[in-house]
Amino acid sequence: MFLTLIRRELLDNLMTFRFAAAVVIMLLLVVANTVVLIKDYEGRLADYNTAVKTHRQELLTYKTYSDGIYWLIFDRPPNPLSIFNAGLDKRLGNEIQVSHAFIPTIWDANKHAADNPYFNIFTSIDIVLIFQGVLSLLALIFAYDAIAGEYEHGTLRLVLSHPVRRGYILFAKYIGAMVCLLVPLLMSLLLALILLTTSAMISLNTDDFLRIGGIVLTSLIYLSLFYLIGMLISAITRRTSTALILSIFVWGFLVLVYPNMILTAVDTAPQTDTKPATYHQIKRMWKELERKRKQFLLNDSVPGEGLGLYIFRVFKDKPSALMYFYYAAGNLETINEKSEPQVPHAQNFFRFFGPLTVNTAERTWLIRKPAFEKIYVQPANRGRMLLKFSPAGLYDAATEAWAGTDFNSVQDFFIAAQRYRQAIINYFHDEKIFASRQWFSADQGAVDWDTLPQFSFQRSDIGINAKQALPDLFLLLTMNILLFIAIFLVFIKNEV
Amino acid sequence: MWHITKRELYNNLNSLRFALTTVLLLALMVTNAVRHIREHPKRVQKYHDAVTESINRLTSIADDSLYELARQGPGVLYKKPSPLHFCAAGGETLLPDRVDNWYDARRLWRLTYPDANINMMNVGPDVSQIDWTFIIGYVLSLIALLFTFDAISGEREHGTLRLMLANAIPRHTVLIGKFLGALISTTIPFMLAALVNLLMISSASEVHLNTEAWGRVGIIFFIVLLYTCLFLALGLLVSARVQRSAVSLVILLLTWVTFVVFMPSTLAALASGFSPSMSADEYWERYGQSDSKLRRTWQRSWYGADESELDEKTLRKIGEWHTKTVTSYERLQGGFLTFKIIQVQRARAITSISPAALLHHLLETFAGTGLDRHQQFVGNVQRYAREYREFIVDMDRGDPESPHIIGVRVGMSKKPVSPEAVPKFEDMLNIGKDFNTAAMELLLLTLFVVVLLAGAYLAFVRVEI
Repeated sequence: MFLTLIRRELLDNLMTFRFAAAVVIMLLLVVANTVVLIKDYEGRLADYNTAVKTHRQELLTYKTYSDGIYWLIFDRPPNPLSIFNAGLDKRLGNEIQVSHAFIPTIWDANKHAADNPYFNIFTSIDIVLIFQGVLSLLALIFAYDAIAGEYEHGTLRLVLSHPVRRGYILFAKYIGAMVCLLVPLLMSLLLALILLTTSAMISLNTDDFLRIGGIVLTSLIYLSLFYLIGMLISAITRRTSTALILSIFVWGFLVLVYPNMILTAVDTAPQTDTKPATYHQIKRMWKELERKRKQFLLNDSVPGEGLGLYIFRVFKDKPSALMYFYYAAGNLETINEKSEPQVPHAQNFFRFFGPLTVNTAERTWLIRKPAFEKIYVQPANRGRMLLKFSPAGLYDAATEAWAGTDFNSVQDFFIAAQRYRQAIINYFHDEKIFASRQWFSADQGAVDWDTLPQFSFQRSDIGINAKQALPDLFLLLTMNILLFIAIFLVFIKNEV
Repeated sequence: MWHITKRELYNNLNSLRFALTTVLLLALMVTNAVRHIREHPKRVQKYHDAVTESINRLTSIADDSLYELARQGPGVLYKKPSPLHFCAAGGETLLPDRVDNWYDARRLWRLTYPDANINMMNVGPDVSQIDWTFIIGYVLSLIALLFTFDAISGEREHGTLRLMLANAIPRHTVLIGKFLGALISTTIPFMLAALVNLLMISSASEVHLNTEAWGRVGIIFFIVLLYTCLFLALGLLVSARVQRSAVSLVILLLTWVTFVVFMPSTLAALASGFSPSMSADEYWERYGQSDSKLRRTWQRSWYGADESELDEKTLRKIGEWHTKTVTSYERLQGGFLTFKIIQVQRARAITSISPAALLHHLLETFAGTGLDRHQQFVGNVQRYAREYREFIVDMDRGDPESPHIIGVRVGMSKKPVSPEAVPKFEDMLNIGKDFNTAAMELLLLTLFVVVLLAGAYLAFVRVEI
């Protein structure tokens, strides 16, 4: 009996116009956008490869440690799964400088290959956005007459006159419609995957396919949620026309209006008003370092940082990124006989000043970190939290976590950069590089940059992606179950 | 006809959709107004502070000497925030709000354009602001479809269409009656919400709308009406062609999703992928080339020389070099900016197939925000820069004792400059110029409406009952 019911539902749905329309529209939108997205990703990957190459070449032109440390620049590779959910992958900076004089963060990053940033005024579309908008709408279109339609036609009475449980009828309807809805979802996804694999530049590994699997699972639960919402409306209103109108309004509110409205009403923009004070605090620390430097030089028997040797200071002053630092550097090609006696003095100075610079950088980090937290991360998290009151927001957050384009995953790259900086500094300490001749002079040979520890960055494990996606997924699932119970209760109590 | 209109109106006013529409539009408009009242004074305050600072700076430089004015330039120039920001936010958060001014110890000032990567530091979620563009473009268009999808097919299903057409009413009268009924019943909630919104905004003491702004709001209302008509006509067309209302709604919804939600971005992305681009690397290469060319013409003997000891011929050469440097850098940078903006505008022109994108552009134009406005601002800045330089030359020419060598301290007038005489930058919104760019788009929108209405008429006339 149960199977008969499902078969009936399936046939009912498959032969309809809406099913054909759903398939066509999904294929059209997904394919058109996937082509664009793949092209965009390939462009970004090419830019990334050139950037890596140029940064490497640039670094090799520097001959001393102190001169080159400003040019240790690493690039964040684009995430191939940003095709599914772009998240923050495209927006945030993608090249970071690693220096001993500051701790690298997202907010210090630059952007390579931002050829025409004015294109940002167009909203970017990814596959998840299409699913989020269209799939939910399709689910409601399939659901609005599921129960109300049968009331109106009087077929419900007929079905219920058979010895069949009401729960079975609901379940059969649910399964039948979900199978139908799965067709456009899976077909469009399959086409997208085929397009992805035909691209020579995109290589997906097993983990990536598992992540895509996670996205599909989330999409499925999201789809089912909207189907159940539609069914509940259908069961309550009992009239198809009312159910249809109400469903569209609910869809408009949940998907279109709520996410934008809540973030318009609640201010989640970065809270920049505390910036100047923090910046001055940081600047004061560096001024303090300057005093210490002068103090040191006064006590030194030879005045100046290395009399006669060309020692310069590298400055960076960027209040908008709470950034102020400077350090001493030298890039001498040769040292003549006359200046030779000053070399030990210069070495002495750098032995003192190098670690002090590192120390100051670490002390400013204690201020910068909470400041960034407060200015950028907290409002952003508040915004994300509020978005999760809508299933569309939950879906977006979960798929972002699966794709690894959420804030935490992008942050991973910068944490790797921070770890790398620490490794470099440890290396400098171990090899006594601050006090070495090569720190400021290349007269006895240029620095071999390959001896430095190598920077490596791996996208986080799928386990971590899953861990971040699961809470949202679980919430979606709970909503599903609650809605199903609600529909069941309404349907049981309904009189036919 | 009025009878039909009235009947439609009563039908609609009593329906669930009318109530939901009113609530939804009111909520959106109130949110929009609250946001504007909260944010706009901050924007205006920021602008005024920046402008005052610029003027103070200019005054203190003018007190110094004409040479300093010629070297340090007018300072950072800011874009004036539009009072109609609530109508169309126009991606203002993604566009720079100023043009910078660069100079160093010896070289003269020149304009530099900050990058449009403003949003790079924001780690928050991506959302569009609720402005009128959103409310009208997405919500009102959807509502217009909801009011018309069953206008004809519904009557046919109930059999009332046969009844009505049995009377001696021409079919076009029926159609126009239905159209007007739907138009009025969608406009009522919108007008109500928009009036509440405008009332809130205009009664807030911090926000001031002048006559010109009200004029612009008037034009915006007209555009909204046209846009609503477009979707009503579309709804009627599909409703007349299709036998069942449910099918009609499915078609309409899917068309709506495609044309309104996805088309603008997809087309823009497609267009941006295929249009030729000058990459940033290429630009910097060109920059480097012209830089090294200019460096070659700079002579070693000038470097670090005491200007008062150089003869007049050399000074004149130095002056010429400075002027040439400024012009060539400004041309390069301005050219790159124009190139980028034109590229985006070309992509935008392609999106005009979508009525939502058309509405977007039109509202931005009349609200004085967005890319066109940014371009206008850059134009204003460039005009002002010319004016400023001419002022310096004129002031110098007015002094008979000066050797008239612009760009060299000893070659310029030493007479004090009155700070009031220095031209100040005032950013202006120009409505006449706006209308030129918008006329095409308005015509296109009207064309869409006419075509769809004609289509609906033909479909309804040929319909068999």
